[in-house]
Amino acid sequence: MLYRTIALLTALAPAIAAAAAQVGAPAPAFTVADSKGKPVRLADYKGKLVVLEWNNPGCPYVQKHYNSGNMQRTQAAARAAGAVWLTVNSGAPGKQGHMSGPQADAFVASAKARPAAYLLDASGAVGRAYAAKTTPHMFVINPAGRLVYDGAIDDKPTADPADIKTAKNLVMAAVNETRAGKPVSVATSRPYGCSVKYAG
Amino acid sequence: MAALGFRLMAMLLALLGAGLAVAAPPHIAATLEAESRAPKAGSRIDLAIAFRPAPTWHGYWKNPGDAGTETLVEWTLPAGVKAGELRYPVPGTLLVGGIMNHVYEAPYALLVPLDVPAGLAPGTQLPIRAKVDWLACTREICVPERATLSLDLTVGDGAVEPAARTRFDGWRAALPRPLGAQARFERAGETLRLAVPLPASAAVKEPWFFPLGDDVTEQSAPQRASRAGDALVIEAKVGRGSPERIEGVVRIGPDRGLAIVAVPGKVPAGGAAAGAVESEGEGGGGLLLALGGALLGGLLLNVMPCVFPILSLKALSLARGGGSAAAARREALAYTGGAVIACVALGAALLGVRAGGAAAGWAFQLTDPRMIAALLLLSLAIALNLAGLFELPSLSGGLHAQGAFATGALAAFVATPCTGPFMAAALGAALVLPWVQALAVFAGLGLGLALPFLLIGFVPALRRALPKPGPWMATMRHILSVPMFVTALALAWLLGRQAGADGMAMGLAAALALALGLWWVGQRGLGVRAWLPLAPALAVSAALILTVPRAGPAEAAVASAGSEPFSEAKLAALTGAGTPVFVYFTADWCLTCKVNEKAAIERSIVRDAFAAKGIKVLVGDWTQGDAAIGRFLESQGRSGVPLYLFYAPGRAPQVLPQLLTPGLLTGLAV
Repeated sequence: MLYRTIALLTALAPAIAAAAAQVGAPAPAFTVADSKGKPVRLADYKGKLVVLEWNNPGCPYVQKHYNSGNMQRTQAAARAAGAVWLTVNSGAPGKQGHMSGPQADAFVASAKARPAAYLLDASGAVGRAYAAKTTPHMFVINPAGRLVYDGAIDDKPTADPADIKTAKNLVMAAVNETRAGKPVSVATSRPYGCSVKYAG
Repeated sequence: MAALGFRLMAMLLALLGAGLAVAAPPHIAATLEAESRAPKAGSRIDLAIAFRPAPTWHGYWKNPGDAGTETLVEWTLPAGVKAGELRYPVPGTLLVGGIMNHVYEAPYALLVPLDVPAGLAPGTQLPIRAKVDWLACTREICVPERATLSLDLTVGDGAVEPAARTRFDGWRAALPRPLGAQARFERAGETLRLAVPLPASAAVKEPWFFPLGDDVTEQSAPQRASRAGDALVIEAKVGRGSPERIEGVVRIGPDRGLAIVAVPGKVPAGGAAAGAVESEGEGGGGLLLALGGALLGGLLLNVMPCVFPILSLKALSLARGGGSAAAARREALAYTGGAVIACVALGAALLGVRAGGAAAGWAFQLTDPRMIAALLLLSLAIALNLAGLFELPSLSGGLHAQGAFATGALAAFVATPCTGPFMAAALGAALVLPWVQALAVFAGLGLGLALPFLLIGFVPALRRALPKPGPWMATMRHILSVPMFVTALALAWLLGRQAGADGMAMGLAAALALALGLWWVGQRGLGVRAWLPLAPALAVSAALILTVPRAGPAEAAVASAGSEPFSEAKLAALTGAGTPVFVYFTADWCLTCKVNEKAAIERSIVRDAFAAKGIKVLVGDWTQGDAAIGRFLESQGRSGVPLYLFYAPGRAPQVLPQLLTPGLLTGLAV
């Protein structure tokens, strides 16, 4: 009975959150500790483009984009366009991909990634607020704090790195269009990958 | 620290070794099979990509849900050979941490039609290669898997080995069946409402709508299914998209489903809840809801015409007792006990009937005229009692816990005619819960029923507020008999609707016999012996009730008496003997089929015409997805029912339209 109650609560949570995160609406605010233990607030980046990336190093789809260098290249391009890149890990303790601060730093270093911060969201609060479903799952927030993109990193939903060459990078498209003051032409897509390993 | 370092190492190794994972044995093994390894030139055969997930692993449906991916196939085929679309079996739901997955946890197969071009010489080699990408996951991790599957066919006589036939029949049975009729949907605020045409008689278990496309519904949100006449109504949370045409699969039982296409349109209000959706989390919520509903329903029953008189009289008798608060509490508790136990007993009896194999729910039983007749007699007896024709010991007795218990049980029992369609939904929901929980819901109903009396027993202020007893009570009781007589009248009318004038007359005759018996009892006063004369009256009533005609089923029985179950062998035997044959394929979930049967096939003019012309009727029932019928339908170029065929001697079989009229059937030329 207890298990069922918990399952019910966890089943309801993303439903509430899904109503919160919607393209065109203000992006849900959050405060969460990064890998160094420093609290990071979304509000700190008001006036800047923000990219959120959901991460789980154990997931083959994440590996597709990191081992090929595609995620790092996207990060660099976004940074060059003035965007702040936040990598978020919502893996619950004991689940695949859950990491401590030092582990996260080691992963970032070994992958030669350069996010502005690696956020540890073990409770899943941020993930559920955004209804992050997969790793990777990407979000772009415009300088006014509104969500302008919610979906996959690109339009080739496979685990095969060979597909990256021919895929359209939807995150960079959203970043560049927003920067040019244009509406995002593909504002949502189906995120693909492993499910986010939330608690419960 | 050492452990941490080890985990880090392991993780980095996993990162580097991603490419090596392919070499390990797959978590879902895949094989490519053909139903016939020697297909005829110019024919279409079924190929299967069969998957075997290791324990705890699962594969994904075409729309994998919130996460996961569909299976992708790249074919390398000989010139002219064509592979069609992948056909997925009905998936299951798997909710992990609030993320919905549409999965297969047991061995499954994706079927693919393969067209072999005409004009190939027998013996021609047909190498079939398929590069297949699929995703294997547990609740914790995912592994993308890939295999290049090969199969070498040789053009031949199209022979199918029995073992292959059995395997493919099993796989085909797991595919969703195309629903001939169009479904409708509407958006009401945050709710997507879907109406699937489905005969009211078709059983549905664990219904769930799997949309093709991830933006149609909020996939992880609970769904609610209910029946509204000849429609299955499913309510889901709207997704991000607002497509003008919705496709998907509606599961109507374990591994059974219908492929549907829905267009915008009017969706009827939902009725009784349809076979509970078993999914993590929702069971608990469903139980709480059902319990709350039952409690509230029980409370509402108090103001129903059949219960109110009993309750008010009992309440007044308690007030009359006045003095002892302890006695009042004892009596209130006894009454509650009686109501709860009677409700649980009724519920248990119902569950017993269901367990005995009858798929019928509460509402369904009320459609049986014999049940209506029994309730008619019950409400008449109560009305006569209130009118003063006879006395019941439990009602007239003083402050006795025993009497109170009997009154509580009686109240619960007589509440049944009033529940009817009103309580059908709550009780229907209870019937699909596990039995312990179902009984808890019935107990809740009894508790709700007893609640006002319980309050009167425990709150002296309430008791004092009741009017002083007096001779006016007898008058009040007589007045209260009026709503009971009205109830009886309504039931008599219902009986007339269901069983015709004859049925109603029999019911009323039984009512007369009962009334006479009760009148006699009333003359003899109280005591057990006084009730003995009632036995013959009851026997007469029971005999009359049992003979109440059942209009609907009787006609159906006559109709099916003239037909025989379909088999290809029987069809061949009949056509071989030069007998004209009308073959029809139907399923319980096919509304068009049922309409055609009622409006045309089962009409007496059609039966008579068929008899006069010597036309035999064969019926293929595809409700359970019978494999032989499925193959026959496919051989006729159909993927589903209805299908109507007429075989006249010496002529090619004639495919009749999907909407039949009696004129069309009586006009069939032999």
